[in-house]
Amino acid sequence: MDESTPPPPDIDAYTPPPPPSASTGTPTDFLKGVVGKKVIVRLTSGVDYRGVLSCLDGYMNIALEQTEEHVNGVVTNRYGDAFIRGNNVLYISAAEPL
Amino acid sequence: MASQILPLELIDRCIGSRIWVIMKSDREFTGTLLGFDDFVNMVLEDVTEYETTPQGKKKTRLAQTLLNGNNICMLIPGSEGPESDS
Repeated sequence: MDESTPPPPDIDAYTPPPPPSASTGTPTDFLKGVVGKKVIVRLTSGVDYRGVLSCLDGYMNIALEQTEEHVNGVVTNRYGDAFIRGNNVLYISAAEPL
Repeated sequence: MASQILPLELIDRCIGSRIWVIMKSDREFTGTLLGFDDFVNMVLEDVTEYETTPQGKKKTRLAQTLLNGNNICMLIPGSEGPESDS
């Protein structure tokens, strides 16, 4: 087989689907990208929870591991595992590069 | 009325540009809009959070952030937020 033979035209015309990526930008894509990473969760009360995001659902209910509770920038509590009910969540922010 | 545009279409056109988000409470965000969903939960990048307290305005810098749409009041496209001159 000649190495320089171009591929058949039907393969040439085929456009593969875009690779799955965490950078298309929708909330679902963002959440897929941050599971397992360190995050900052701020509640509407202003309290921060920093930890590793283990899982979450469409209500923004969140399970965190190695959780630190921050009030006004000071660590006030540490929890091994924590569950946060979604209605309290103001935002979820990536604490390390995605 | 061929040029009618829906509110969420307007936000869709803002994807990739800076946006100023004002919450129901004394809290504001600016950032680059990466995307949003039907609830107007928003994914922002290079975010600054502004918190108005009796002690003054507190600024927090954040990386990529998913902002809960539940408490969002107003969106201002193309603005750098409370510190812009306009």
